[in-house]
Amino acid sequence: MERLIANYVEVCAIMLFGVGFMTLLMHNNMIKKIIGLNIMDTAVFLFFIAKGYISGKQAPIVVGKLEEASAYINPVPTSLMLTGIVVAVSTTALALALTLRLHQKYGTIELDEIIRLREA
Amino acid sequence: MEYIKSFPVFALLIPLMLSFAMPLIKSDRTIKNLALISSASSMALCGLALKYVIEHGAYKYKMGHFEAPLGIEFQVGMFECIMALTFTAVTFLVVMHSSGRIEKEIGSRNIQIYYLLMNIFYASLVGMVFTNDIFNAFVFIEVSTLAACGMVVANSDGRSIVAAIKYLVYSSIGSGLVLMGMAFLYSITGNLNIEFINAEIANAWQEYEKVVLISMALFVFGLGIKAAIFPLHVWMPDAYAYANNTSSALISGIGAKAIIVLLVKVLYSMFGSELVAQSGLLKVFTALGVMGMMMGSVFAIFQSDIKRMLAYSSVAQMGYIFLGLGIGNVLGLAAAMFHVIGHSVTKALLFMSAGRLAEGAGGVSIEKLESVGARRPVSLGLYSVGALSMIGIPILPGFVSKWSLSIASIEAGKGLLLAAIILSSILNCVYYLPVIIKGYFKKSEGAFDGIKFTRREESQIGTLPLVVLAGIVIGVGALSGDIINAFSFEFSKLM
Amino acid sequence: MSSTILSVVSSVVIPFIQLFGVYVIINGHISPGGGFAGGTIIGASLILYRMVSGSDAARNRYPYSRLIKITCFSLLSYGLIKGYSFINGGLDLHMYDLPIGTPGNIFSGRYLLPLNIFVGAIVASVMYFFYSLFSEGEI
Repeated sequence: MERLIANYVEVCAIMLFGVGFMTLLMHNNMIKKIIGLNIMDTAVFLFFIAKGYISGKQAPIVVGKLEEASAYINPVPTSLMLTGIVVAVSTTALALALTLRLHQKYGTIELDEIIRLREA
Repeated sequence: MEYIKSFPVFALLIPLMLSFAMPLIKSDRTIKNLALISSASSMALCGLALKYVIEHGAYKYKMGHFEAPLGIEFQVGMFECIMALTFTAVTFLVVMHSSGRIEKEIGSRNIQIYYLLMNIFYASLVGMVFTNDIFNAFVFIEVSTLAACGMVVANSDGRSIVAAIKYLVYSSIGSGLVLMGMAFLYSITGNLNIEFINAEIANAWQEYEKVVLISMALFVFGLGIKAAIFPLHVWMPDAYAYANNTSSALISGIGAKAIIVLLVKVLYSMFGSELVAQSGLLKVFTALGVMGMMMGSVFAIFQSDIKRMLAYSSVAQMGYIFLGLGIGNVLGLAAAMFHVIGHSVTKALLFMSAGRLAEGAGGVSIEKLESVGARRPVSLGLYSVGALSMIGIPILPGFVSKWSLSIASIEAGKGLLLAAIILSSILNCVYYLPVIIKGYFKKSEGAFDGIKFTRREESQIGTLPLVVLAGIVIGVGALSGDIINAFSFEFSKLM
Repeated sequence: MSSTILSVVSSVVIPFIQLFGVYVIINGHISPGGGFAGGTIIGASLILYRMVSGSDAARNRYPYSRLIKITCFSLLSYGLIKGYSFINGGLDLHMYDLPIGTPGNIFSGRYLLPLNIFVGAIVASVMYFFYSLFSEGEI
């Protein structure tokens, strides 16, 4: 239990991941699905970046003199997640463009109505 | 000459750079020629790299000036080269076949963007096969998903938009799970390079057993959604059926297969075979593989649209591959990877010839395809070569993979799986044979009313890529012994 | 939107936004930011210009053909530089490379500065394309 409280950032990230996952699956509206997708991806980024923190060290920016490598926190997760954020932005842009086309074709963006319109 | 070592990098870089030049070009003729040149050069470079690996052995190529784990490296071995050669060969033949018919499929406005997406798609798959760094593989997975989504929606059909949305939503769930698995793995091993993680994972298993299990489960389910493991396959039939013919052939031929190659690399090169055997994952693969084989074929029997039928058949064939992974010994894994190659070439051939048949009959429903053999005899013949391979006629690769899977399951002591393989072969017959038999032998009187029937209906030059692909199918079946031996040798080093 | 306040204030603010974006791009390898973040800032300034001055003025000032040429040229140069660096490093050819310098200077890290500039150009035009495609359907 004390481990959960000590790693509270990671616990919050996993709860956000669950929230985003459920939003992506349960709602029928396309915009809500896209919001859920973004929440899920942001939760993973938070988890990854929080794993790079070492308590007591400073941020990896050269201010004045260059220290040795053990005085900074781990900068690798931050740089990796920049790429991850760009990937999430591209997926969101593609999903929004598809939603726009869907609205032009069918007049609605609720997926269950569209499936009913197609069956009929 | 040591320059051959850098050919896999060029096989990835040339399609990407030619695709970036495409928005500047105005004439469609040049764009099609550029696409053809880029896929031909990728195929040639992968072939030369395979020749080098056969002579000199596997090697690692560091990208840039920094060795792993600081930099990214490419692992170029026999397994990766054979897979990359298969994918680029299929792409080359699909591009060659599409150049005459792409205006009819998607209209002439979208041709620039379509070939751009196609180049990015297969370049990212070649990168996914070769890379030795797990985050690099994640980026390639995302790029290939976005490019495939764009290709699915290229014809402006309402159903293809819904199919692309379903594909995108399911794939994003898969990517989110894979990234979370990667985060867990990075936090306990501290590396992102597959070999270095493998070195650390034994210590991590002692201390943090549950974290390793969680990470493995996240990887398997995330990659499994993208590779259409049984209950999570629901995006596949819509996406393959409602896309245009070229996109279906390309995405079904190489899209899900590269994810399977990555899954094998993750499970056996990164986690190691002892962890996989200890964790009970093999039983999950066997169960889901058998259910996929059965239910995929059962759903395919009830379809009235030929492309949906082929898409459900893809689900069943993915079940074979998961069954081969779940058997757990070297021959099972080699048979599953051989099935990847065989299915890749066969399914591309089936989709492209089904597209020609549908064009000749005026629609994709199976009733309209009766007696289409009079108008399109060559296409129906090529379709039957592919269908006979799926059913399991000797010499063709489908037979060899079913035979090897049966022998592997007997060697591992799981002889009951033989019944599943035989039953699903019988189910395959039920839905593949009627199209061929009714196409050639049924005389349907009302079929030609109102249609002008000319003798040279079928453009002979247009079927040349398909004839070459059918030759490759037969060739893969003939060379199957060498390929399976090579794979068994490679995988016995991993296990 | 065509009100005097908006046009006057934006014509003062937009150059500062772009200057800040250029600063973030150029200092990408020694401080947080880099190509993506700086490119998004410059893209935001282009979007602000289109919103305030209307799409005809924006189409005159930032035409599609020029932006797509900048994007494709940047992508091709990125690919060429990366390809050269991979071949030079992977095969140990020891041909000419930019110097690695001392950490903390602007001209340090071999190819990071040119690559960041190209990525910034690409991201700026892509953000502008997103806005114009979603709001009006054509660029």
